[in-house]
Amino acid sequence: MIIQWLIVLAPLIAAPITLAAGKWKRNLAGIIASLSIGISLAISGITYFGVSSGSTYQEQFTWFSNVSYGIYIDPLAVTMALMVSFVSLMIHLFAMYYMGKDPNRHVYFVETSLFTAGMLGIAVSSNLLEFFMFWELVGLCSYLLIGFWFFKPNATAAAKKAFIVTRVGDLLFLIGIVALYEGITTSALSADPLGIQYLITHSSAVLAALGSTKLFFVTVMLLGGAIGKSSQFPLHVWIPDAMEGPTTVSALIHAATMVTAGIYLVARVYPLFVAAGPDMLYILAILGAFTAFMAGTMGIVMNDIKRILAYSTISQLGYMLSALGLFSIYGSAAVGISLYHLVSHAFFKAMLFMSAGAILIALMDLRDVRQMGGLWKKMPVTVTLLFIGSITLAAVPFTSAYFSKDTIISASWLYYSGNGSIMYALPWFLLELGSLMTVLYTFRMFFLVAIGKPRSFLAEHARDPPLVALIPVAILGFFSLVFGVFQGSFYNFVSGFSVSVKPVPLEIELIPLLMLVLGVAVAYLIYGTGAWSRLKLSRLPGYKFLKNKYYLDRLYTNVIAERGILPLSGAFGSFEDSYNTANVRAGRGVLSFGSLLRKLQSGIVENYFLVIIVAFSIIFVLVDLMGGF
Amino acid sequence: MFLAFIFGLLFAISLVTFLTGRYSSRFAMAGSVLILVLVAGYLLEVMQGYSGGITGKYSYPLNAEYQIFFSVGINGFTGPLLLAAAIVFPLSIYISLKEKYDGKFYGLMMLAETGLFGVLISRDMILFYIFWEFVLVPVFFLILMYGGEGRNSVALKFFVYTHIGSALILLAIFSLYAYYFSVYGIYTMQMSALTQPSFVSQIPLFWELFIVAGLMIGFLVKLPVFPFHAWLPDSYDVAPYPVTVAIAGGLSLMGGYGLFGIMLGLKSLFPALVLWILVGISIVSLIYFALTAMFQTSIKRMMAYASAGSMGFVLLAFAAGIMEESGVEYNLVLSGGMFQILAHAIIISLLFVNIFFIKLKAGTDTLGGLGGIYREAPVLSTIMLGGLLASLGLPGLAGFIGEFSILGGSFQAIGYLIFFVIFSMIITASYHIWMAQRTLYGPYNEHLGGIRDLSRPEMAVLGAVLILILVLGVFPSPLFSLFSSYAGGII
Repeated sequence: MIIQWLIVLAPLIAAPITLAAGKWKRNLAGIIASLSIGISLAISGITYFGVSSGSTYQEQFTWFSNVSYGIYIDPLAVTMALMVSFVSLMIHLFAMYYMGKDPNRHVYFVETSLFTAGMLGIAVSSNLLEFFMFWELVGLCSYLLIGFWFFKPNATAAAKKAFIVTRVGDLLFLIGIVALYEGITTSALSADPLGIQYLITHSSAVLAALGSTKLFFVTVMLLGGAIGKSSQFPLHVWIPDAMEGPTTVSALIHAATMVTAGIYLVARVYPLFVAAGPDMLYILAILGAFTAFMAGTMGIVMNDIKRILAYSTISQLGYMLSALGLFSIYGSAAVGISLYHLVSHAFFKAMLFMSAGAILIALMDLRDVRQMGGLWKKMPVTVTLLFIGSITLAAVPFTSAYFSKDTIISASWLYYSGNGSIMYALPWFLLELGSLMTVLYTFRMFFLVAIGKPRSFLAEHARDPPLVALIPVAILGFFSLVFGVFQGSFYNFVSGFSVSVKPVPLEIELIPLLMLVLGVAVAYLIYGTGAWSRLKLSRLPGYKFLKNKYYLDRLYTNVIAERGILPLSGAFGSFEDSYNTANVRAGRGVLSFGSLLRKLQSGIVENYFLVIIVAFSIIFVLVDLMGGF
Repeated sequence: MFLAFIFGLLFAISLVTFLTGRYSSRFAMAGSVLILVLVAGYLLEVMQGYSGGITGKYSYPLNAEYQIFFSVGINGFTGPLLLAAAIVFPLSIYISLKEKYDGKFYGLMMLAETGLFGVLISRDMILFYIFWEFVLVPVFFLILMYGGEGRNSVALKFFVYTHIGSALILLAIFSLYAYYFSVYGIYTMQMSALTQPSFVSQIPLFWELFIVAGLMIGFLVKLPVFPFHAWLPDSYDVAPYPVTVAIAGGLSLMGGYGLFGIMLGLKSLFPALVLWILVGISIVSLIYFALTAMFQTSIKRMMAYASAGSMGFVLLAFAAGIMEESGVEYNLVLSGGMFQILAHAIIISLLFVNIFFIKLKAGTDTLGGLGGIYREAPVLSTIMLGGLLASLGLPGLAGFIGEFSILGGSFQAIGYLIFFVIFSMIITASYHIWMAQRTLYGPYNEHLGGIRDLSRPEMAVLGAVLILILVLGVFPSPLFSLFSSYAGGII
């Protein structure tokens, strides 16, 4: 047993201890959970130094049959483990304040430490099926946490939706695993067919064994899992509803422990995606870009502060997925580029959610941004933190997202100019538009929240929370601002070779900045000063379409579920009922047939003989026809 | 010898239970726990380093002329099943303590356990058949005497249905017996002889089909799968909870045992078309039961269909395994099927035990009558959720190991039909979670008044079963390798 097991085991073992201790003294729960994640963080840190000096850590045991489980830590895994444990720790510390008065907070901390354990398990798994097990643990914990306030009908409905929608993706993922397993086992390539190290170092052998069609199928299925977990189009519908959970849960889901899992899956087995061919990579690029744009448009029309942030997450994840499609530009360093945005997003999204959480506490859970306003004066520290998060999200120059996101956009232009055809321009085009959307919804939210006059009684009386509680948020804020300086070294570390950011023409590089200026100006004019306040969003064409979330929720709920599955189930159920009744009737029929047979028993021996002879002749003919005795 | 001793002891206990009057409940409880301890200890002893074949053999001639023996023994498959049976019965007797039953009830319960043990350990076909029939009788009376509304017709339906299946099994057994005599000139009812490949390969086509059809229909009724399942929902629903647990957890082992314990030895008899029909039946069952379960308004009935649904996986594993003939995947899919039988028995017992407690404490087991009971009974609800998650196949719990192995092993044989299986799994997950949302979570249904959570002993019992499910899901290897060595070396 190597010490790295503790990365996963510390929060896992802490969960029951947290429960027991929390039953005894509620406040102990948060402390124990945070400590356990601190242990994970510390060991990840130690591992980081080992990995950066060139070693990988691994250890495997047999799980069952030819499936193993264990730990495999390379630069990618340790990066993820560091990010997850660090951000999760910050959120846990904040949650001790945020959940401080909830009577069930010990249960909350049990679930969040399991949640973190699951995500850390995903990061360091050595086998795809083990990966899947932790993946489902994460799914389960998100279900429990979204429905944490179990007495709220909305919360339980949202939890159910999250579980079922991600379950669809998960089962596609499972098909992918099954097909991969079957292909490798049949051709007896490896004694451990689902071992991650094997998969990423022998992708060409896997391609040769499976054939390109089947490998393509496998990667599409794996992508299906990633789409469900990372809430990409068309399985993104669960995440805005998931805002019904506590805000710290949203912070966890969006930054550290859930939605990044899908991106990480693709990054983890990236060589398989590359081996599946350029079409697969194009699918990644275009799907991510489309999601980035689409979620951005929906973010603009939402009024719930948490939902705006939720759509922004979907949109940013789109950038990460899209970055993974840019293999033809950066080679396998595309993973590093995607992961870099993932980490910087984790910092600023966690802090955005936590500052929003602090605002919600001050406003007694009033979530409508139209009712806020003027909060910068009322709660200066919190809103300053929100401001730092917002400018990072909008990729204002020299914040971390400026380096992480604009590199992706520039690369997508190179992707187009390298291939030439208009089809390849689409990701770039959508990503550029997406960045405009990002700026618009971010600053719309920020201006509505922070400046102007308070538009409700609650907003007038808002106060900053105790500053101690905001320390974790401030730490994340610090990282959001300065993380950009690590860009080059981050790429080199994750990729394992030295990566240089490819230059693009200045005019291309300036477009995102232009979008930024444009977006801020429009948002300011409409929502900041009120100069354009007559321009109502709701009067614009397409508003209804956006407000109804592209009608996808309706398609799933009202068409597929309510008009498809439920009537089908009703039909099967009624058939079953009548089948049961028919059985009873048939039983009665047999009984009356029995009394009919009684009459046959005439007692006349000749009749019996006749029947015997006829029966035997039939049997003999049958036997003869089928080849004799 | 020790195995025969355990069996004899169990039989004696069940007979004595009838006479113990008002102590019968405690006596049956103690007896069944004693049997559990003995079986567990015995298996730990003999299954160490098991590598195929039959252990614990004991044989006593019953009829010298026709070579009928009281012959018992276990292998890597029946051993764990025996343990599952020994776990399920104490559980069902445990919950029966919460209600009032007389000595006859406990006697019949113990007799049912005896019959089930007999089925699992018999190594003689006729003995197997005797116990197969024997189990029906106590269960029939249990439903008839202690069941709920409509128990007369339901008990009769249960009996007639399974009895018709049994009759076909008997015919098929006698065909094997007679044909063995015509080939070798000796009578034998030994399973090992009747299923040995050199004999099985000589059976001509007509008898082949006859034997396969007879045995398979018998076992499929017991399993059950669509369209042979009509006895199941009513029996599960009408039977009192302890009996439901015993049928769902204990008797459901019999159908699976029939497939993997007996039919696997006759696998060369199956024509390809029959295998495809079996695959078709299994997939139809998976989808049919999932959709039907979604429609139910009583949790008990819903879980009855869920139980039938998991049996679709068992049949799929069996058919796909035979199609694949050999290799890693053959081994995986068959072991997965066996794992599924065992996991299902424990999971479904936990679920029914849990629903019993919900009914006991809240007074109802309908979806409409419950709601938000987590507020009043958090432990009960959490364990229920654990059972539901295991039942829908969440990784880390016992149900997943079987399902993954079956999918992974059968993909080569069934190919893209896997999407139908996955569809059924999505529906299954949906109705499980939907049910949890409507009963455990959400606003508390104030009509229920105050309900109590589980007491500490109840928590300990149910928690232990849930932990067992978790352990099986995380460390399946000891059990899995038993199944796998059995699948590799069918006797």
